[in-house]
Amino acid sequence: MANLMSVGTAIFNILVYPGFLFLGVLSLVYEYADRIIYARLQNRVGPPWYQPVADLIKLLTKETVIPSEANNRLFRSIPTFAFAATAASFLYIPVWNNRSLLPFDGDLIVVMYFLTIPTLTFFLAGWYSSSLFAEIGGIRAMMQLFAYEVPFYMSLLGPAALAGTWSISGVSQFYREHPLLILINIPSLAVAIFSAQGKLERVPFDAPDAETEVVGGTFTEYSGRFLAMFRMMLGAEMVVVAALIAAVFSPFFIGGNAALGLFLFLIKVLAVVFLLALMRAALARFRLDQMVSFCWKVLTPVSLAQILLDLIIKGAL
Amino acid sequence: MQIINKVMAWARRKSPWIIHFNSGACNACDIEVLASLTPRYDIERFGIQLKGSPRHADVLICSGPVTMQQRDRIITIYEQMTEPKFVVAVGTCACSAGVFEGCYCVEGGIDTAIPVDMYVPGCPARPEAIIDGVVKLLNTIK
Ligand code: SF4
Repeated sequence: MANLMSVGTAIFNILVYPGFLFLGVLSLVYEYADRIIYARLQNRVGPPWYQPVADLIKLLTKETVIPSEANNRLFRSIPTFAFAATAASFLYIPVWNNRSLLPFDGDLIVVMYFLTIPTLTFFLAGWYSSSLFAEIGGIRAMMQLFAYEVPFYMSLLGPAALAGTWSISGVSQFYREHPLLILINIPSLAVAIFSAQGKLERVPFDAPDAETEVVGGTFTEYSGRFLAMFRMMLGAEMVVVAALIAAVFSPFFIGGNAALGLFLFLIKVLAVVFLLALMRAALARFRLDQMVSFCWKVLTPVSLAQILLDLIIKGAL
Repeated sequence: MQIINKVMAWARRKSPWIIHFNSGACNACDIEVLASLTPRYDIERFGIQLKGSPRHADVLICSGPVTMQQRDRIITIYEQMTEPKFVVAVGTCACSAGVFEGCYCVEGGIDTAIPVDMYVPGCPARPEAIIDGVVKLLNTIK
């Protein structure tokens, strides 16, 4: 009986909370938040609140075309892989308290690897659609991966080194106990926000799907429900990355009260999404070479210096 | 079934993604189409977004008469779009070939190549007229 119960809880965790359903709803909510903040920053009214839902339903009910040149089976399965990897990484991120569903020492690294899979699927999706624009988009996505991935990882490793643990729950527990130490990590936070834009392929690092250059980028040939899957996945990835940044860089946690904790979580993610939208509104697109040299010459040294600083402070403590 | 159809029609009305194609316009209509995409007119209010790929788009906005060169291309783009799809002809030229009527390289309005759902006349059509046309087209989706 107890066995059955635990299987039931596991299925509930995977499908409803904090798995697919919860993440799906969050991705719609934050897609709307992102779009409305962006619109308000441009001094316009912006989309109505139901816009992401309408987009989703419309795409799900549209005809789905699979190019005859494309590899049929891979073309169909790649969006699922992308979404599954994103949803899996969410299981290791603390939501309403400072303990995730399945914490273990090293889940920070695992989440980072999980978050690399979507970018790889973008490349594969572009490659297997056998369209020139999609291939160029995929190659650009790959090239950006080599630029932002290193500073993104290192910016999260700095705070983790100070906390002395590789577990996200452990890191947030540490900063809850020592809230002032978070001030040391502000340069790292800036690096994380910048490279998160690269990971999410948003302005200023949106060269892989720049519609003025490469049509639809990786997703040029995708339509209907597969495109809907990819869009859901992009929204979910934004939530996961924002939640990860919020978990590592913010000391605000309230233990015990689930409703209050959830509210705080939503506010923290909203704050990160606000920063992301602010950057999207304020900056123009970087050329690929500018983006690569910016990541390697500015962001990486800053995060290296941050790790060094964190290690020195840890030694002094 | 009824309710599913209602929800589908609602989603289609609320989320039209457009793609813009110049089939031989003098460029004035294109500039007006671009102007209507700027934050000043804020067409995201209606859920309209500009998409780069015909596979993503629901509404094809065409400007200009169909020239012999562009005829095959406009048909290809129309066929690349996924169902359900709509076509809006922007400008007098797109409606009826306008001042280019009878020119040696011009075949006629957009409807000589592909079926058109909404005509927006004007030389060039103003952004307000284009937005009005698209929104009126959307309201016919049942
Ligand atoms: S309708 Fe007028 S402005 Fe538009 S393409 Fe024709 S001539 Fe140019």
